[in-house]
Amino acid sequence: MHEAEDLLRVENLVTRFKSVERGKWVTAVDDVSIRLAPGEMVGLVGESGCGKSTLGRSIVGLERPQSGRILLDGVDLSSLRGRALRETRRAIQYVFQDPYASLNDRQTIGETLTEALIIIGMTDREAQRRRVHTLLDQVGLPDALAERYPRELSGGQRQRVAIARSLAVEPRVLICDEPVSALDLSIRAQVMNLFLTLHKDLGVACLFIAHDLALVRQATSRTYVMYLGKIVEDASSAELYARPSHPYTQALLGSIPSADPRVEAHREPPPIFGDIPSPTNPPSGCRFRTRCPRAMEVCASGPPPRLALAPRHHASCVIAGDLYAHSHPEPHRLPMPA
Amino acid sequence: MRRLRDLFQALAQLPRLAFLAVGLFVLLGVLAPWLAPYDPNAQDLLATHADPSWQHWLGTDHLGRDTLSRLIVSARTSLVGMSLVLLIALSVGITIGTVAGYRRGWVEEVLMRIVDVGLAMPSLIVALAVIGIFGTGYWNMILALALAWWPGSARISRAVAVGVMNRPHIESLRVLGASPGRIYFHHLLPSTIGAVLVYATADAGAVALSIATLSFLGLGIQPPTPEWGQMLVDALPYLESAPWQVILPGLVLTLVVIGFNLLGESIALNRVPTPLPRRILLKRRAMAADWRKAAP
Amino acid sequence: MMAPETSSDLLQVSHFSVDLYTARAALRPVDGVSYSVAPGETLAIVGESGSGKTVLNFAPLGLMPTGVVTDLSGSVLFDGQQLVGLPEPALRRIRGGKIGTIFQDPMSALNPALRIGRQIAEVAELHLGMTHAQAEARALDLLKLVRMSDPQARLRQYPHELSGGLRQRAMIAIAIAAEPRLLIADEPTTALDVTVQAQIIGLLKDLQRRLNTAIVLITHDMGVVASIAARVAVMYAGRLAEYGPVEQVLLTPRHPYTRGLIAALPSVDDAPGSPFRGLPGTPPVLGAPLPGCAFAPRCPQVIDICARQYPPLRGSGGPGPGAAVACHVVNARPSKEQAHA
Repeated sequence: MHEAEDLLRVENLVTRFKSVERGKWVTAVDDVSIRLAPGEMVGLVGESGCGKSTLGRSIVGLERPQSGRILLDGVDLSSLRGRALRETRRAIQYVFQDPYASLNDRQTIGETLTEALIIIGMTDREAQRRRVHTLLDQVGLPDALAERYPRELSGGQRQRVAIARSLAVEPRVLICDEPVSALDLSIRAQVMNLFLTLHKDLGVACLFIAHDLALVRQATSRTYVMYLGKIVEDASSAELYARPSHPYTQALLGSIPSADPRVEAHREPPPIFGDIPSPTNPPSGCRFRTRCPRAMEVCASGPPPRLALAPRHHASCVIAGDLYAHSHPEPHRLPMPA
Repeated sequence: MRRLRDLFQALAQLPRLAFLAVGLFVLLGVLAPWLAPYDPNAQDLLATHADPSWQHWLGTDHLGRDTLSRLIVSARTSLVGMSLVLLIALSVGITIGTVAGYRRGWVEEVLMRIVDVGLAMPSLIVALAVIGIFGTGYWNMILALALAWWPGSARISRAVAVGVMNRPHIESLRVLGASPGRIYFHHLLPSTIGAVLVYATADAGAVALSIATLSFLGLGIQPPTPEWGQMLVDALPYLESAPWQVILPGLVLTLVVIGFNLLGESIALNRVPTPLPRRILLKRRAMAADWRKAAP
Repeated sequence: MMAPETSSDLLQVSHFSVDLYTARAALRPVDGVSYSVAPGETLAIVGESGSGKTVLNFAPLGLMPTGVVTDLSGSVLFDGQQLVGLPEPALRRIRGGKIGTIFQDPMSALNPALRIGRQIAEVAELHLGMTHAQAEARALDLLKLVRMSDPQARLRQYPHELSGGLRQRAMIAIAIAAEPRLLIADEPTTALDVTVQAQIIGLLKDLQRRLNTAIVLITHDMGVVASIAARVAVMYAGRLAEYGPVEQVLLTPRHPYTRGLIAALPSVDDAPGSPFRGLPGTPPVLGAPLPGCAFAPRCPQVIDICARQYPPLRGSGGPGPGAAVACHVVNARPSKEQAHA
């Protein structure tokens, strides 16, 4: 790893919550390390409850991690306090899933954006007005929208406003938590393309948290796969989809139904058992072993090693090497979800 | 079956009636000095215990004071007292609740344990104890009741504030690096106050009842200020000869309390009656009929 | 020309409209929709939020939010019985009886205070007239049928003790408890993870084979459509845009909206970082029925008449050449060209 290159580094992060069961803890993020280069688009995929949102929320400070470090430009954020922390961490912004709840319905769009500008100390009215205009333009919204209230906007428009608000503070990293999953199919592409444009024009790095693998494959250059609080596999997106080398990644990719009924008529869903277990009481050893079709005795004995399969491809599974060797080098034909 | 349905339909109208009762109470309270036909304290010893007449619509009491005037002016006493109690109790409660909801952690723990202690004691007993220590008097009564009521509003405020703090629009302000002051005063406080006031509506009836209770016991509003609880006590010795003088203040008080309770509950349950009025429904149906005509 | 309406159809919807009245406006979320479902068949109804796909299916069953006034017109024939205008008590006997329903969010559809076993048994008692003991036994059988692990223990559990996938299985068990002839499933897998989704779809297909239940599946996910449906109805702004066999609609879509939707699905041939394909503009806001084609403002092939005149659904929705399409441009073309469109 080239440490100097990384814009954002998360090292051995652990975030726990008190469980509803008395005296028990839920370890939502368990010893996770990820990194983001400047201007890089990175995906983080996994099923609900795997801790991917908690990881994103811990990075921006919405959750308090138990241990581990978050470094922005080499500066450990836990070494900062109060105003200094707020001003430094501002470079990392968060886009929420629900565009209906992320805007204050009592503020107009203009007021919402202006407030973000006031927060970063822009007090001149004329400058604020010009900047609001620029921001709306950047996310492809007409200027007239500044006078409107969120309830008058469609879901897609609201999500654009939320993105514009994050851009107001000139972030270097955007953490996007399922930013299009609440939107209609015909609108998703528009918002996804907005992210691609912003990435290209402004050079913002993105951590793209999603459960939609096809979306992540096309939008990102690298992908992390998370299961029950752990990163189980990471690789360049093209390679991950072509040569998935963790049984979970394979199951995940194989579960996506194709939009082609001819393919569907013959496709057997992958043999993955049951639901994701409760993170209050995760399985010993490899966390996936209770659902894994390839589980062996050794899987229960201890956490699987993180194997390097290629220079930028790692998987935490004892048989990852085999799976990698036997995977077809041509791309996975299946993912074509809606 | 038919009867039952009628009954349910009548019940569905209750929130509206409650709204009317509360509205009337507030209106009477505000306009009391102009609405009361007589000075509520003007005695006419020649016309004590008068029956209702054109002169005195609801008769007079044992000192010959006009009962209607006294009932109306009592509404003002009750309204002012209730408002003061709620104002103080809510200010304290909302402050403590929102601070706990904002800070979380040990601050929340400490504040909420104090609130728990307050909630553990019945409010009337707290009020009686305070008055017992500091003596009777208008402000002592107000403060005693406020002291009894703030823990409830603190608990609700905290619950509301925690909910507000978890909303993505507040979270996005935190991510933007907004100062704690901005989040607290510009966003958390206004949102919490709005929601807590709804709950306070249901409490208002109970406060009115407590004021009457304390006054009935001689610990609250002191004569000659007219007050419903006091009117009850005054009329009690003459229960057999002039029962109306007891029943009337009791009835009015009951209506106000039930009114506030129902109103608060229906707002909280979002059951404020909004059935489509028949007139509008007919208009909408006519619109739809036009579509059908326009279609080939 | 509408779908061929043969007497063998289990569900026959024709010229069905829903008018919905609020204090602010009158809306028509469903406008003159016709389709049919044969016994044991699966029809997918695809559309975006606000397209009317949910109202279309639940308004005839009397399942509308309280306080909403609706007028239904047209005809919904289920098993020879007219549902439009049927009084509530009669509808109640059909709901949960001959027609089972599955909702997107099983948590809000299940009673949190009742054990799973009881909730299933209740349906059997109510609609099949079973005794308590019979119904309890049936509940156990049903849990085995929906392939719940450890069914004995699950009977005594409460909904909150189950995971999302198990809850949806419990919901399905309730829906099929009275051996319905038709199952209406509203986004049954949307709230579930992909790995669980595949299991639930497999379960639905398996149940359908065994019980010969017809399924109307409301969804926005083309993958789910492809994996389970025999026919598809695509809805846009309260009207059917396209209606036909699943292979034809998904592989050779004809309506510009369907074409756009299917083209918008990311495919493996798209290079990472390449722009996403989508439709321009936004779906229309619900209101009065539009005089023209609702898709016209977003349509790449729009012509003059589109804004003025509403295009009727033309073609056969059943097996045969080409799906039925509501589009002036497509329907004006000779049928040779349609195959290459």
